[in-house]
Formats: sequence, structure tokens, C-alpha cells
Amino acid sequence: MTMTAEIIQICSFLGAGIGVGIASVTSGVGTGIIADQANIALMKQPKAYDKLFSTMLIGQAATGTGGIFSLVVALLLLFGGFEQGVVHIHRAAAMLAAGLAVGLGAVGPALGAGYSGGEACRSIGRMPRQGNIIMGNMLIGQALSQSSSIFALVVSLLLIFSTPMAIEDPTAARLIQKFIAYLGSGLAIGLGTLGPGAGIGFVAGKANDAIGRFPRERAKVIRTMFLGAAVSESTAIYALVVSFLLIFAVG
Amino acid sequence: METIDATAMELLANGIMKASAFLGAGICMGIGALGPGVGEGFVGGKACEGIARSPENQSLIMRTMLVGQAVSESTGIYSLVIALLLIFATG
Repeated sequence: MTMTAEIIQICSFLGAGIGVGIASVTSGVGTGIIADQANIALMKQPKAYDKLFSTMLIGQAATGTGGIFSLVVALLLLFGGFEQGVVHIHRAAAMLAAGLAVGLGAVGPALGAGYSGGEACRSIGRMPRQGNIIMGNMLIGQALSQSSSIFALVVSLLLIFSTPMAIEDPTAARLIQKFIAYLGSGLAIGLGTLGPGAGIGFVAGKANDAIGRFPRERAKVIRTMFLGAAVSESTAIYALVVSFLLIFAVG
Repeated sequence: METIDATAMELLANGIMKASAFLGAGICMGIGALGPGVGEGFVGGKACEGIARSPENQSLIMRTMLVGQAVSESTGIYSLVIALLLIFATG
């Protein structure tokens, strides 16, 4: 094991590249959906330009959050230099899994937030007078949907900062176990946030649409939105629990 | 090639078995959360739409939404159980 440091470096670079690459895909798609719907709405309601423009920009900023998370993690992985003293090979998996977690973790939330923002723009185009209420609801929905990408960020920061550099009794079997457990935890939270992120975005988008159509029922709609989003979030929390267990409780 | 004695071989095999169980747990929970998350979101979205259209049926729609989401959640719970089994009960 004389090349441990080099292998860890390689895995850091690999994790940074893969993470930021995967995360950019749907950040781009989500922001594109919002711009698309904003333009269609502008075509129908040119007078609502101010509201539509600000909603589009705010929605796109919220959609891009996952991409920014993965950028931060990628920069940490590229310029980290965390490995000091005795290091073992399992740190390589922690670095790779950190990139995978935050990259895959941005996919679902960005899609969901994009759908929610797009529906908000469409709804404002139909009912410009309800613009502020719809925009507020869009922000709440996007925040709910981005919470799963924050789970992914937490797991990847834990993988980078709180995994031990060296383990006691470094037999081949123990090293393999730790290595694969870290990879598994990254995959669990990365893939696990995909569904909830997209699902909550769908709830929020439909709620924006419904508030625009029936503004008087908005209290009931918002209540249903919260309940639906909370139940949908539960699988992301299962994934978070499993990945914590894989980081801290095994191997 | 150097020879490895039997006990070391067995330890290594045990380690690899556990390691693949951990990878399996991660993938199981990750992919298993995908379907329920999207499905429950779809249910919630349609419920929002339904309540806005006919607010007088709110309690009925809310009840149906929760039951639908609970059924949809069950596969997520299956994958949680399998992931926990893979982490703690194998190898």
C-alpha cells in the first residue's frame, strides 16, 4: 500500500468531476423549464413582465442551489489536502462517495424545484393579480424540495470531514468493508433523494397551479401541500438514516 | 504468487461478503426511495388540485391522499427493512 496517498488524490478528483457533472445536468434542465414557462407566460401576458421576471429569477436561483452545493463540495475535494499522517485506503472511497452523494442528490430536487417554478410562472401568466401569493408559495415549495439536497450535502460533508484517516487493525477485510460501506452510503443518500425531491416539486407545482386558479381556497391547498410534501419526504429520511448507519455504525 | 493460509483467506472472504452487503444496502435504500418519493409527490399534487376544484370535499380528498401515500410508502419501508437487514443481520 505505498500508493495510498495517490489513490486518495485520484478518487478526490474523480468524485469532484462526477459530482459537479451530474448535478449540473438537472440544475440546467430545471432552470430551463422555468425560463421556458416564463417566456410562454410573457407571450400571453406582456403586462405582467415585472412579476414574471422576478419570479423566474428567484425560482432559478432556488433551483440552482443543488448545483452550488456540488460546486462547493468539488472545490473542497480538489483543494482539500485533508490527508495528514497515517492514511488508509478507505479515505479514497469517502472522497469518491462525497462527490457521488452531492451530485446525485442534486438531481431530484433540481427537477422538482424546476417544475414548481415553471408552474408558478404559468400560473402568474394566467392570474397576474395573484403574483405575490403564487411566488411565496413557489418559494416554500422549492425550499421543501431542496431540503433533500441539503441531506445529501450533510452526508457528503460528513464523509469528507468526520471519517477517520486511519483505522485500528487495518486488515484487508476491514479496509474493504469500510471502503464499500462509504460508497454505499453515498449511493444511498444520492439516489434516495432523487424521488422525494422530484415528488415534492410536483406537489408544489400543482399547488401553485391550484392557487392561481382558485385563489380563495389557498389556505386549504397550502395545508394539503405541506402534508403531501412531508409524507413524500419520509423516504429521503430513511435514506439519510441508512447512510448515517453505513458511515458510523458498521465496519 | 505467494500462498495465503486458510484462515486469512476465510477472513478476507468474510470481509468481502460484508462489504458487498453494505454496498447492497446503500443501493437498495437509494433506488428503493425513488419510486415512493415520486409516487407520493404525484398523489399530493393531484390532491392539491382536487381540493382547489372542490373544496367542500376537502376531508374526503385529504383522507384518500393519506391512505394512497401510506400504501405508496410501503415499498420504501420494505427497502428500509432490507437495508437494515443487510447492514446488521448478514455476514
